[in-house]
Amino acid sequence: MASDNKSALLRRQRANEHLNSPLLQPMARDDKDLSYDGVQARLDERIIDAAAAALDDGQTHYVDVPGIAPLRAAVAEHLRDSAAGHYQESNIVITAGMQEARFLSMQMIGENFNSIALPAALDPGARKALGTRERQPSFLPVAPARGYLPSVDAIAQAAADGCRLFYLESPARLSGAVYTAAEVAAISQIAADNDAAVIWDQGLAPWVAGAYASLAALDSDCARTAAIGELASGMGLASWFIGYIAAPARWIAALQSQKQIMAICTSTAAQYAALGASEIYSELHAPRLSALGALRADLAASAAALGIAVVPGAAQNILCLQVTAAQRETISAAGFAYADGSHFGASEVVRLAVNDAAAAALGALT
Amino acid sequence: MKKKKPSGTSLLYQLIGEARGYDDAIVLGRGDPDFDTPPHIVAAAKRAMVEHYQDHSPPQGLLALRQAIAERVKRVNNIDVDPETEVVVTNGGQEALFLMVLAVIAPGDEMIVPEPNYNTYADSLAFAGGIKAEVQTYAESDFRADPAAVRAAITDKTRALLLVSPNNPAASVISPADMREMLEIASEHDLMILADDIYDLFVYDDFEHISPASLPGAKERTLTLNALSKSYSMTGWRLGWIVGPADLMARVTELKAAISGGTSVISQHAGIAALTGPQDAVEMMAEAYRRRRRLVLDALDAMGVRYGMPQGGQFVFADIGFTGLDSAEVAQRMVSEQHVLAYPGSAFSKDRKDYLRMTFLQPEAQLREGLRRMKIVIDKIVAGK
Ligand SMILES: Cc1ncc(COP(=O)(O)O)c(C=O)c1O
Repeated sequence: MASDNKSALLRRQRANEHLNSPLLQPMARDDKDLSYDGVQARLDERIIDAAAAALDDGQTHYVDVPGIAPLRAAVAEHLRDSAAGHYQESNIVITAGMQEARFLSMQMIGENFNSIALPAALDPGARKALGTRERQPSFLPVAPARGYLPSVDAIAQAAADGCRLFYLESPARLSGAVYTAAEVAAISQIAADNDAAVIWDQGLAPWVAGAYASLAALDSDCARTAAIGELASGMGLASWFIGYIAAPARWIAALQSQKQIMAICTSTAAQYAALGASEIYSELHAPRLSALGALRADLAASAAALGIAVVPGAAQNILCLQVTAAQRETISAAGFAYADGSHFGASEVVRLAVNDAAAAALGALT
Repeated sequence: MKKKKPSGTSLLYQLIGEARGYDDAIVLGRGDPDFDTPPHIVAAAKRAMVEHYQDHSPPQGLLALRQAIAERVKRVNNIDVDPETEVVVTNGGQEALFLMVLAVIAPGDEMIVPEPNYNTYADSLAFAGGIKAEVQTYAESDFRADPAAVRAAITDKTRALLLVSPNNPAASVISPADMREMLEIASEHDLMILADDIYDLFVYDDFEHISPASLPGAKERTLTLNALSKSYSMTGWRLGWIVGPADLMARVTELKAAISGGTSVISQHAGIAALTGPQDAVEMMAEAYRRRRRLVLDALDAMGVRYGMPQGGQFVFADIGFTGLDSAEVAQRMVSEQHVLAYPGSAFSKDRKDYLRMTFLQPEAQLREGLRRMKIVIDKIVAGK
């Protein structure tokens, strides 16, 4: 029985270019999958114990919409301690992973603005989240030399043109490039001067070697910056889908209300696991970061030896390379999957997760 | 922005917040079963934390879970689906609900919603820019959604028909004959059917649940949601699903990827254990709900409270109009004076100010005590105090 109604709705959705952007998963499909941007890591027994103890204690029921109080407090504290925001527990909404954080923040904060400006190259998940409803995006120009971060001038120009909501990634999800402290200060000033708001994806910040400048750290009143990211990144919880939004108080009610509408709350076990992870995070994170740093330096050297340009980036868990079509084919033919720059908006590059398999993928090019 | 008196979901959260402040509170409000998740399911989750935490799940979910879901909907609902292309795993029934609405409703589209109904449908419609076309149901006829009224509500903008059976909060079950007529109407007017089967294992007396998608010719236009939350006491795991025809499910998959990306693999492994493991805990809980329903109905009868006979689900939608007070006020007094939480009908539908929704998701002793305290408040109100 043919349905015109169904055909029409299928046609409409198939034509929705943003919605149909591919989605990159936070974890690897197999040993040769280098397309993810999470950090594969062993799940520590203490984290398992924390989640298991909560389940044994009867924590198998709905919990508060924005998340369990101790986890929200731990997230706020962690952001304060890592100079990534001045948020309090009440500013935090726990999400079912990074993509839900993108969707909720873009859609609900976006309701207060006529338009939203995004980097012309960014995680395809951001376009996808945007595509669920008609929104008016504009795209900020980017260039490989600056790791695909829109320049401060481009942001200032968009603000001058009337844009009052920005979605920015630092580190960039494609290259790992970060804004410098001076650039972050300039962006903060632009936002203040124009009464503009920024959704700031700082999910890859834990993997930056050295100092990281968060826009949220300059927003001392938590007035205009909503920071989003993965929770317990690199703690073996990627497949548990757990993330956060840290937002100004004026948007919290709308975020919570939509979170209730779309999910009621986030998985209880995942929240207790993330809480457990927060207690041992500093112990586990530093060695993981330095191991990634060493690996990435080797990979960058191998790429350079092959004459492949490495796009500048500070996040140690990913490597963005300008490769030829022939080199891509060789990598694919050897069975490796990479994140295709064209899905971000930069067809000249690929992104590899930094791990031992990435060395083998580059080895295939020699 | 103007400060409004809390209504709908925000009113509920205010009442919940107050009840939480009392150590002796009895919660007959939230639809959260009192039973903890059965131990063999918890054990499977713990195993998954060791063995499967690096599993890669595509947005639509692990294939093993989708297979278990396909078997379940065949066995229980007589719906045939291909686990490869016709099942999407979701963060609970709630995400499934939101996705179904987003998948079929564009701005300006109308969806027919029998009222009263689960309030998230209205909220999701609002998000999608859709319009709710209400079809009223009444306690006198046990909240039956009358196909004739549905037919009368159709306009040239109608795109979808919502069928929640057993219904929340009205606890009505759509009879097989009515269901066939609903399908006829949907076919005649080329409407999509959104079916919510989340309470399908809780059907009382001689009532019979039927999934619209099981009827000949229905599958192509029907999306059906379900979840493990209510039937397996797994509300905290956030695990549900949608099944439907492959073409629509491809769109649902895209939307699922867009709004949350994936579903916790630990919850998914718990779900596999729930669906494929022993089912005696489910039967034990369903039996407990049968007993408790009787207990609540007897207590309401003793208070002189009328209600539509709950044919299924986990609640009674009780008419307290005879008290002369709006149920929001009654609910407020019940919480403040006797620490008993029930949900005012206005949280479900603006026209149901005379109703209270009471769940029977508490042990019998608690239920009895809650009803005893409720009677104190009702008696006081009636006595003009
Ligand atoms: C009719 C109905 N559908 C869906 C849901 C969502 O349930 P959950 O997300 O907990 O699976 C509920 C919850 O109360 C409900 O009553």
